[in-house]
Parts: sequence; C-alpha cells; structure tokens
Amino acid sequence: MLKVEGIDVHYGIIPAVRELSLSVEKGQIATLVGANGAGKSTTLKAVMGALIPKRGTVLYKGEDVTGVPADKRVGMGIALVPEGRQIFSRLTVRENLNLGAYHRNDKKGIINDQEWIYGLFPVLKERGSQLAGTLSGGEQQMLALGRGLMSHPQLLMLDEPSLGLAPIVVVDIYKVIEEINRSGITILLVEQNINMAMKISSYAYIMETGKIRTEGKPDEVMKRENIMKVYLGE
Amino acid sequence: MFTPEYLIQQTFNGIVFGAMYALLALGMTVIYGILRLIHFAHGALITVGAFGFYLFFAVLGLPFPAAIVLIIGLGALMGVILDVVAYKKAVGGPEVSMLITSLGFYILIENLMKLIVSPQPYAFPTPELLDRIYSMPALTFRTIDIFIIATSIAIMVFFTLFVKRTKMGVAMRATAESGEAARMVGINIGRVISISFIIASAIAGITGFMWGAKYGQISYNMGFMAGVKAFVAIVIGGVGSIPGAMLGGFILGILEMFSVAFLPPGYAAYRDGIVFFILILILIVKPSGILGQKEVE
Amino acid sequence: MLDIKAIFSKVDRRLLAGILVALLFLCLWIANAALSKYVIFIVSLIGVYIVAAESLNLTNGYTGLFSLGHAGFMAVGAYTSALLTFPVKGREMFVIPKLPIFLGGPEAAWPFLPALIMGGIFAAVIAAAVGLPVLRLRGHYLSVASLGLMVLIAALAMNLRDLTRGSIGINSIPTYTNVWWAYVSAVLTVYVVWRIVKSSFGRAMKAIREDEIAARVQGINPLKYKLLSFTIGAFFAGIAGGLYAHLSGAIRPYAFSFNMTFQIVIMVVLGGQGTIAGPVVGATIITILRYVMKPLEEALGIYGLVELVYATLLIVTMLRKPEGLLGRRRISKKAEAP
Repeated sequence: MLKVEGIDVHYGIIPAVRELSLSVEKGQIATLVGANGAGKSTTLKAVMGALIPKRGTVLYKGEDVTGVPADKRVGMGIALVPEGRQIFSRLTVRENLNLGAYHRNDKKGIINDQEWIYGLFPVLKERGSQLAGTLSGGEQQMLALGRGLMSHPQLLMLDEPSLGLAPIVVVDIYKVIEEINRSGITILLVEQNINMAMKISSYAYIMETGKIRTEGKPDEVMKRENIMKVYLGE
Repeated sequence: MFTPEYLIQQTFNGIVFGAMYALLALGMTVIYGILRLIHFAHGALITVGAFGFYLFFAVLGLPFPAAIVLIIGLGALMGVILDVVAYKKAVGGPEVSMLITSLGFYILIENLMKLIVSPQPYAFPTPELLDRIYSMPALTFRTIDIFIIATSIAIMVFFTLFVKRTKMGVAMRATAESGEAARMVGINIGRVISISFIIASAIAGITGFMWGAKYGQISYNMGFMAGVKAFVAIVIGGVGSIPGAMLGGFILGILEMFSVAFLPPGYAAYRDGIVFFILILILIVKPSGILGQKEVE
Repeated sequence: MLDIKAIFSKVDRRLLAGILVALLFLCLWIANAALSKYVIFIVSLIGVYIVAAESLNLTNGYTGLFSLGHAGFMAVGAYTSALLTFPVKGREMFVIPKLPIFLGGPEAAWPFLPALIMGGIFAAVIAAAVGLPVLRLRGHYLSVASLGLMVLIAALAMNLRDLTRGSIGINSIPTYTNVWWAYVSAVLTVYVVWRIVKSSFGRAMKAIREDEIAARVQGINPLKYKLLSFTIGAFFAGIAGGLYAHLSGAIRPYAFSFNMTFQIVIMVVLGGQGTIAGPVVGATIITILRYVMKPLEEALGIYGLVELVYATLLIVTMLRKPEGLLGRRRISKKAEAP
C-alpha cells in the first residue's frame, strides 16, 4: 500500500532523514521506533506531504505522490494524527471532527463514520460542544484519532499516540487502534513506547539518526537488537 | 460643560467612529490570524473605496446601491491582487518580509491615489438621504451615523455567522490556529488565504464610503491614520481575537472621543497623538488586550 | 583571471578600510572645491542618510526588529539641535524661545557638536522609554508602537507651537552641516555599527534575530539587547536629524512623516539588511534617484513619482531578492513545504 524509496528529508540545510526506505502492506500495522530526534516524525510528515523530500519517492497504492501537497493527499486516503495531537483547541469537539471530513462530499458516509467514531469514543459525543482545548490529554488524543478517522482514510499514520498519557489510557487507546485496524485500515505507527507498539504490530522498523537501522517481525527485531542501545545512543 | 447630554453625545460619536474602526480592525485581524501579518496596506483600501465611491456616484452618476456594490467589489478585487502579487510568495518566509512588503504596497497605493486624484482633498458626495440632521433633546445625529452603525453591526453579525456556521468559515478559524494542522485535514490553505483577503478587503472598501461620508472629505492619504487606528484597536481588543477586534474598535472610538473632549480647547489637534498614548497604556497594562491570548514572551 | 576574493582576504581588512576612507575624503575635498553647491548639497545629504540608514540597519537588519519610528527620532534630533543652536539674535525675530537657564540662558546658543549629541541623546531616551514596555512583546507590537510614536512626535511638533512654531516649522537654521560633518558622522556611524556587530553584543543580536527561544536558552536576555539596539539606533537617528536640520536650514513637521521613515527603510532593504555596506549603498542609490527624478517629476507634473518608484523598488526587492543588493540569502530554519 505504501512504499517509501530512498527519501532524504531536510529541515533547511540540515538532513533529518537520509536514504530511508520502508513499505507497509495493506491491512498491516507497521511500526517505526527510535529515540528522540531519530527522524520518525519527519518520515511521517514526508508521507503525509507536510514535508517534501529532497530525494527519493513516496509511492501510495502504486502512485507517485512525492510532490503532491498535503491537502490533496487527504483526499487520496492518507491521514496523519500528528505528534502532540494538534487539535484545534479554539474550535469545539464537533467542529474538530467535522473538519476531518472537510474534503468529503458523501453525506451518508460522513454520518456513518461519525456514528462509528462516537461508538469508539463515546466521550466525544458527550463533549460535543466543548472547546477542544478544555479536554484532557487522553480525550484530546481520542479527538485527534477521531478527526483522522473522519477523513475515511485507508492509510492512517499515528505519531506517538501514547505521548503524555497515563498508562491506563494508553492501553485503551491501543485497543482502539487494533479495532481500527480490524475494520480494514492500514496503520503506520510511530512510537517511543516500544512495548505497546511491538505488541500490536506485524512489522517493525528501528530508526536511528535519520536512517533505518534494522527491520523485521517485532519479536525477531527485539531479540536481534539490543533495544536499549538504540535509546542510549551508539 | 460635562452635562449628561454632552456625555451621551460624545459616547454616540465614539460609537460611530468606533464602528468604523471595528470594521477595519476586523479585516486586519482576519488577515493577521491567517498570515500572522499586520497588513499595513489595509488602510489604503479605504482610500480606494472612498474615491471609488466618488467615481461611481458623483462622476459616473450611478445610483447609490450600485455604487456601494461596486466599491465592495473594488475592495475585493484589490484584495485578490494583493494576495496574488504580494503575499502568496512570501508565505513561509520570515515574518518581517511580509511586513515590509505590505509597507511597500501601502506607499504604492497611497501614491498612486495621489497621482490619480491629486494631492488636494475632495469633498465627499454623501447622498442627500444620508446627510439629514436630526436633533433630539439629548442627541444630535445625521442619518449617516445610523447607516454606519447599522451597516457595521450587520457586517459583523454576518461575518460571525459565516465564521461559525459555514464550512469555509470553520476552515478559516482552523487555519488561523494552525496552518499545518489545517493542511493535514485537507484544507487548501491558499484558498483560505485568498478568501480571507477578499472578505477583509471588501469590508475595507465599504468602510471607505463610511469614512468619507462621516468626515465629509477625502484625500489620498486618509488611509494612513485609519490603518494606525485599526492596529491600535486590535491591540486594545486583543491581537488574534475577532470579537476582540470589534470590541477594540468601539472602545477606541469612545476613548478617542472622550480624550478629545477632556482636552483643553486648542489641543484637539492632538487627536491622532492620543491614540498612541492609549496604545502605550494598553501595552504597559495589559498587552494581550481585553480578549486576547497571551502574546507576551 | 585575477582572483579578487583571494587578494581581498589576504589584505588586512582594516588597512583596506582605512585606505578607502582616506580615498573618500580625498574625493570629497576635490568635490568640495570643484562641484556646484547643489551637487555638494546632495553629496552631504547622502552622508546624512547613511547615518540614518546604518542606524536603522542595526535595529532592523541585525536584531530583526521592525521599527517604523525612525523618522520620529530624526524629528526629535532635528528640533532639539535646531532649538539649541539657533543664534540669539534671530530668536526674537523668528519667535523661537530663548534657552532656559539650565541650558545656558537667554544669551546662549549651543555649538553644533554638543547640540547634535544632545539631539541624539534625547531621541535615545525616548526610545528607551517606549522600548521598555514594548520590546518585551512580539515584534509586531514594536512596529505599531513605533509608528504611533512617530505620529505622536509629529503631532507634538505641530501643536507645541510656542516651542516648535507648529506647522510653519523652523527656518533659517544655521547651515553648519557640510560634507565634512556629514561624512565624518557617516564613517563614525558605520564604524560603530561595524564594531557592535562584530562584538559579542552583535552575535547576541543575531542569535535573537534567528531564534529568540534558542537564544534565551543560551542565557541571552533578549530584552536587554533589543532595548540597547533600539536605543542606539535612535541615538544615531537623532544625530541624522540634527545633521539634516542644519543642512537644509529648515524643518517642518511634515518632513519627518511616514515618507521619511519609508525612505530609510528602503535604503536598508535595497542595500541589504544585515550587511554593513548595504545601507551605504542603499542610501546613495535612493538619494541620487530622488534628485535625478525630481526634474522629471516636475516636467511630467507627476507628483509622487519618486515615492512610486521607491515603493515599486521595495516591492520588487522583497519579491525577487529580499536579502538586498549586497545581502546573502539567509538559510531559513523552516523545512521545505509545498
């Protein structure tokens, strides 16, 4: 479904990601792990179109989308739940969710998705007219997820969904992620919390300073690599 | 001297002027919210609107409603031009660049106007209907005053509805909060920017008519003080807040009237300078303005 | 091919600068003797504008602030120095107040240099007073506040009629400014700005300009540096104002309006913000442009042509080559985005 080939992504002149290649099969949950600053978010942004790689290609369902602007990619079925949620705190919960469906025209489909999302996250329905900025961290994460789902994506990318959340909440979030995947949506996950990520993924990539260090099935990778090394830096 | 009648009269005057400031401030805030740009050229758009009205109404003899519609359109057109020529390219670069560019556009427009209409002020052709004077026991006003207040409120109400109820309006609010997040939900930022410019500039166009009618005369540089006052209004109400801009406009109008009223005679010419004092005062006391978010570092 | 850059780097910069300055003064000496009064006037004016532009460059170009009040500070300097130096005999005739006791008394008129400096100091004090509350906030506030300050100063100049003669302005100011005054000031200003920029102070300013948060993390207090930069800029603007007053011999409040500020902003932007030589080049080009275009303006009857050209120049520069003629493109921190 997604194939990234040899991308270089820069912040100004500083290369954040170098010669990175990865692929995600349809229906999979793939995970991208690494320490802070390894370039995980940058990679996701490049797939999303928020950043354009200086080199390399991003192929989505066989199509070259490397230069396609982010707002068009949403229409193609790619969605990103960004690091730190980035919900619109001055808009209400409902407005935030509706914005997720901004590019869509199918009224019925939108309503169906809305029902489904309220089913996953009942609290969003309760707090519909509250300002999104007044929600707790966990609720904001749910909102961000819900907003991403409202765009009816086929590929959903999650950047550190567990960031800043209490462990109990994290477990709930991950249950939901699995359910989303079961409904047919491919997931590319970025995490620092490797335990949860490895548990639900079928394929893993370990990143270090802008490159893929190693990849494979999660249990193999865990055995193969001394994971702590990755975090303490080599 | 400070009888209740006097105070009521002054407050009323303040509201009238405040309504105009509020409209200008509204347009400027919209642009600021989306682009983080203080749009210096905005003031010049009322000059365009005012002289446009002169052209359509006095020179070409078009009926009043047609002239009004045309200057709204003219304003919108200016907005499109500015957007396309100036700011699309500058987005993403350092903020100062856009400020400087908008400065350049202000001077350009002002001097173009000077060239086209001459440095001399013109008498403004207020339609007779709006020029009637009514005297009540506490208050004397002209019909133009009512027109200004009514139109301003109507515009503000429409705008608030637009921004709360329509898809594009919500998109504008979202973009104002975070352009990047907005792109990621599929909002076309370029279009949002264009629409913001069009709306803000169209409002400035009709404000030009009001300004001319209220002051009775127009000149090529009328936009300068208008722009400055709009900035101050925004600061009073809180940078980045749309209701704040509107509130700030009214407050500035009233404050200005009262300051001028309280000054000893002969100092009335300090009116423009007073605005600066108000600004500094606010910046010292409450920089985030009345309704604004924290802007202090 | 001569590799100029290689030669340039080998020669001691200071020696080179010294030679250039000496050459400059030689040229001025020749010009003074040989050229018409009108041309000399323009040449001196360029020198004055160099002072103004270079000082604005310190505030805007190097510290990344966006001050729009420069003309206001020039006005302060102009009026202050003019009122101080005005000859005693003329004061009665021209209805200009005599100096109070603490400034020398009614029979006094100040010599040029102290008056100039006084003008600069006064401007600097005002800058500090306004800067203190405003510079704490985001950059835009300074733009608006400095603009408002300029408006206020103009309003004061127009209304304190007993002091400033209102909109008539002050005429018959002794024309002390000649090429020497103008260019010694210009060279001094460039030198001072150069020293500041090259010092640790200058590095701090640039750090603030690039990324204020990062600078703070490194222990740099942005307020202190912004305030100093703003104040020093105002000081030299005041000096420029004083020089201007004593060059043209007459000042009116309108002379120090937004158009003046804009003119100086263009000089800095066109020449290159954040470079030392940029404002010098900018001042030269812009001033010469004005005096070349003036006859054209009159012939065509197009008043405001000069400003139109200025504005167009500014816009084109910002859209095409924002770093100015002498500037280098600054590497933006921001990532590529569609």
